[in-house]
Amino acid sequence: MNEPVSELLMFQVGARVFASTVRDVVRIGNVADVPAAGLVEGTSLGPTFARERGIVVAAPEGGAESTLVVDQVLGVRVVPASEIQPLPAFASAVIRSGAVSSFVLFDEAPTLIVDLPTLVRERLAAAVTSPLPA
Amino acid sequence: MSQGRPHLDALPSGASRTGQDAWFFCLRILGGRYAFEAGLVTEVVRLGPLTRLPAAPSFLPGVFTHRGEVLPVLDIGQMVGQGAVAIRASTRAAVVHCGPWKVAVISDGLEGLVVIPHRNLEAPPAESSGMAEFLSGVARDKNGTIAVLDLPRLVEAARSRAVPYGSTSA
Repeated sequence: MNEPVSELLMFQVGARVFASTVRDVVRIGNVADVPAAGLVEGTSLGPTFARERGIVVAAPEGGAESTLVVDQVLGVRVVPASEIQPLPAFASAVIRSGAVSSFVLFDEAPTLIVDLPTLVRERLAAAVTSPLPA
Repeated sequence: MSQGRPHLDALPSGASRTGQDAWFFCLRILGGRYAFEAGLVTEVVRLGPLTRLPAAPSFLPGVFTHRGEVLPVLDIGQMVGQGAVAIRASTRAAVVHCGPWKVAVISDGLEGLVVIPHRNLEAPPAESSGMAEFLSGVARDKNGTIAVLDLPRLVEAARSRAVPYGSTSA
């Protein structure tokens, strides 16, 4: 019997490594190839250092694609779906983002799993009231 | 009821009590001695490397792994606006259950269990800011004054004060 698995895209923002489900990703690209208007940065994941790679995320309901700026894309890891755990209840109840609700343990350290569409949506909504400095 | 007993009514309903004594778990935070009902504490653990969470309030400095379980860390000092507890390699945390919430409370030092005779418990000062807002009593032992926290109320306040996801004020 085959255990269900999840494919996770591993990426780095600043010094921290995150994961997202591969199905949320349209493609990986270079930031330099994307018009500035299509880039999403300054998210709750923290500041980027190198700004080299972009993870292209499909927009909901047929909108334009968005490119999340990251520092590195580290590859794909396949984990049993059963190893993906929800955040502790208290943490879930107090964080101000819906983009992180689960994690997976790698070498006993929790790696946060980011819901990319939600992260992008939150950043774009926040940009309306607090745009990034030019 | 005698003159010395009414203060006990201010204690959390689940306070650990045996006869004439009440049992508390005592720790040091930002220069003060604080305690909460001992029955809330399930274990004391050494804090592992913290994983910080995006968009977390200051009183939640991160989560860490303990025996395969990921625990959220609660910084009471930050919660009440009195400053952050310094996190060092030697920092230990008291793992507590407060209703549905399981958190690891960090401190500058853990004293452990203290037994306080009921007669030594007094009502908290009539202040409503900072840590005083969450005090349920004050006591003295041979090491000095201990402020007794209503920890379940503090944890619930932390949860309710955090700006929830989706709020336009975030």
